[in-house]
Amino acid sequence: MKAPIQPPRWATRLLHWFCASHLVNDLEGDLLELFAQRVRTYGIREARRRYVHDVLSLMRPFAVKAKREKYPQPALIQPAMIRNYFKIAFRNLAKHKMFSIINVLGLSAGMTACFLIALYVHFELTYDAFNQKSDRIYRVAADIKTSSETLRYAISPWAMASNMQNDFPEVEAFVRVQKEETLIRKGELKFIEENTVLADSALFRVFDLKLLKGNPKTALVAPLSLVLTETAAQKYFGGADPIGQTLLLGDRSEPAQVTGIMQDPPANSQIKGDIFVSMSTYTAHQDKNIEREWGSFGAIAFVLLKPGTDPAAMEKKFPAFVQNHAGKMMAEQQMRISLSLEPLRDIYLHSTRPADESGSADNLYIFSAVALFIMVIACINFVNLTTARSVERAREVGMRKAVGAAKSALARQFITESVLMCMIAFVLSMAFAAILLPFFNALAGKQVSKGIVHEISFVAAGLVIAALVGTMAGIYPAFVLSSFEPVKVLKGRFTTSIKGVMLRKGLVTVQFAISIVMIIATAVVYTQLDFMRSHELGFTKDQMLVVQAGTGRDRDAFKASILNFAGVRSATASAAVPGSWTPQAYSKIENSSGEMQAGNLDVYRVDFDFIRQYGLKVVAGRAFSNAHSTDSTQSLMINEATAKVLGYRSAAEAVGKKFEQWGRKGVIIGVVRDFHFKSLQENIKPLTFRITDFWNGNLLSVKIDGGHVKQTVSAIENQWKQANPDKPFTYYFLDEFYDRQYRADERFEALFLNFAALAIFISCLGLLGLASYSTVQRTKEIGVRKVMGASAASIVGLLSKDFLQLVGIAFVIAAPLSWLAMHRWLEGFAYKTDIPAWIFVAAALLSTLVALATISFQSIRAALMNPVKSLRSE
Amino acid sequence: MKGTYLGEFEEVVLLAVAILAGDAYGASITNEIEQQMGRSVNLGAVHAALHRLEEKGLLSSRLGGATAERGGRSKRFFTVTMAGTKALDNIREIRNRMWSAIPKPA
Repeated sequence: MKAPIQPPRWATRLLHWFCASHLVNDLEGDLLELFAQRVRTYGIREARRRYVHDVLSLMRPFAVKAKREKYPQPALIQPAMIRNYFKIAFRNLAKHKMFSIINVLGLSAGMTACFLIALYVHFELTYDAFNQKSDRIYRVAADIKTSSETLRYAISPWAMASNMQNDFPEVEAFVRVQKEETLIRKGELKFIEENTVLADSALFRVFDLKLLKGNPKTALVAPLSLVLTETAAQKYFGGADPIGQTLLLGDRSEPAQVTGIMQDPPANSQIKGDIFVSMSTYTAHQDKNIEREWGSFGAIAFVLLKPGTDPAAMEKKFPAFVQNHAGKMMAEQQMRISLSLEPLRDIYLHSTRPADESGSADNLYIFSAVALFIMVIACINFVNLTTARSVERAREVGMRKAVGAAKSALARQFITESVLMCMIAFVLSMAFAAILLPFFNALAGKQVSKGIVHEISFVAAGLVIAALVGTMAGIYPAFVLSSFEPVKVLKGRFTTSIKGVMLRKGLVTVQFAISIVMIIATAVVYTQLDFMRSHELGFTKDQMLVVQAGTGRDRDAFKASILNFAGVRSATASAAVPGSWTPQAYSKIENSSGEMQAGNLDVYRVDFDFIRQYGLKVVAGRAFSNAHSTDSTQSLMINEATAKVLGYRSAAEAVGKKFEQWGRKGVIIGVVRDFHFKSLQENIKPLTFRITDFWNGNLLSVKIDGGHVKQTVSAIENQWKQANPDKPFTYYFLDEFYDRQYRADERFEALFLNFAALAIFISCLGLLGLASYSTVQRTKEIGVRKVMGASAASIVGLLSKDFLQLVGIAFVIAAPLSWLAMHRWLEGFAYKTDIPAWIFVAAALLSTLVALATISFQSIRAALMNPVKSLRSE
Repeated sequence: MKGTYLGEFEEVVLLAVAILAGDAYGASITNEIEQQMGRSVNLGAVHAALHRLEEKGLLSSRLGGATAERGGRSKRFFTVTMAGTKALDNIREIRNRMWSAIPKPA
């Protein structure tokens, strides 16, 4: 045949695309015949043109119309078939109980973890979100720059807020809040309320805190007005109406009137308290000049800006505003105040300024990742277990196909099954979640949720996600199972593809990699916490009881009265103890170049015997002493860090240098070895010691004998009750108090430990499924091997080898990843442990052991089976 | 009599099938019409007409021999059915009657 002259290829392709299959053959024949003839008579060009023309002219209904089906097409959704799907699904679940339990349990464990974590993340992300005006509320934060440092405060000068409202038309309202401990009394009832909050009258205008009784506009206007939360009202007044009643406030027992009852603030609100006291109680009654003070810092100020205000533009006007009001004061004290606006919603998670409670965006990321991982592991399991059972179901598929089931109908059936499984798991997981919520709240240290009935929207979202997971996880098995060829399957010659096996092995490797990462992470977190708890702190914290004992002569008398108790070794007063908040004082100290260096330094106001009782080492000079009359007014002690900041090469050089601080002038008498007065997350900061004034130093540290702690404490308590019948006895142990700083990290550890255990558990379920699958696959092989003389042990080894390889690969992937991640986490600590190598060894051993134990369930059974049984059926 | 009404082109196609007697398939019919009428026709138009005529029962078809020229694809041969013959006769009769009714010019 001569070189064929072809008609335009695209036209032919077009024809095949639109034309009904039963017509295309003879139409194309006609086209080709005509084309050949026309080439001869008219030439190629014309023939091609006519060809295209003809093809286009064939795009008519008769040619496009599909051939009518030979048999009627069943409707997509048939109740009878769907009923059958469910019936078969339930039968399958019931028939393979072990398998169903493993599958559903794994999935529901994953779902529960995800659900709880989602609740937690949502709780943290919606901090303060209940305030409808939250996009217009800003915290005014102050930075103080001195020659040596910058202090970043959350609080601001007392005089700022009211002046700001006068000077800036953008400000709609402002409110200052300050949390305090206040003694509250009513008749016989007396409590030191830790959560008393001083607040301006605009509190209810700025924040959406609901006042149940009383007028929100006036409730906090007058001095000595109180707004109680429902809980506090219940505590003091029971069922009676508290409005108009009085409570005695503070050490001076001033009568204050209850003017309002408010709903308890949401758990994720920054503004939290049990009793709200009008700010005017303090500013117009107790300290009348404070509102004019630019140099005094206290209270956190929030401003509500008018709609449409640009906070950045407003911030630009702050320097002039501060200069205008406080310029003179700043020049005198050699410091500069600069103000900035922080959006309310950003404070909790992102602000680095000091706060009572703050969240960590990093932790949220970590937990979200953990949740995702656990879900992935659970889904992988589901896929693995379902496909692994394909051997058993292959005959069913073959039978269904033989009697006429279409591939799509089978796929639908399997997806229905997996969705059903997911729904069962979901219902179970909701039950688990409901049971676990209280424990989870305790673990998180917050009331993340009041109960599952309050989280309907979450449950609904969970249901949708569960259905989605069911569909997604079901697609692969459905695809695999429904594509079996009936002839092969029914003949019994059935092998899975290499690809499918590789995929399953890959999935198991991923699962184990994730689990190993979590094991290592948990171990590192534990090591770090252990390191912090056992680190040499530089002071004694054991058997130290800290009593809130008031100030002045009362305290001294109390101290003297307990000193001769049998269990009491010594006692000393101070305004702060390690682990507690310390005030900062504007101080000037002579530095190494002879100048008076100004800065804000942490202050410990202590009694004469504090240094000795706390076991602080004096490295140069001397400690405070009663013998020197000037010590209580003209002496200062510093720590080594301070000496370093001042530029002294050795501690001894600092002794005898001049200082000015909070109205005292004099010389440095001694230098104390650095000790950890804050948590090990921070470096040791400069610290100064001075003798207490008569109005402070309300913490009495009592060193007691280890032997009879209980008796000693109750003896001290009795003594307190005798001396102070109107004040409660409040105390804590220093070691517990100090370690409380690590509570967030301990929570982190506990959460991690739980979720790591869960991840391993789910992974093992997956491994169990895979192991059982592969042993079933190799039943005959095992039989033949046994007949040929293989021992049970060698067969167990044979079966285990493959899986241990997977665990090995997982470890190789996981180890460097987790090292990197944990290295980053440790960078958040000033004092950190190294990541010891044994952790990796232990993680490897642990995962291998767990994997071996899991596999052995199946492999030992397979190895002990009588080969006659497995070979007979051939 | 809607069912048996013939359009002009349908009539031409039906006639072409009749002429080709036994060797009528898409390409040959197209060629025949082109020769007889001296104008080019679309294969699509021919096939559409054939399809309609078959639906009306005036034509019947069967699949038959292939040639190398057709790339080995089979032909669909069309034959005129009894009803088709009758329809052609009918049209011819009407035409004849009408022709004869034209008054002769004086």
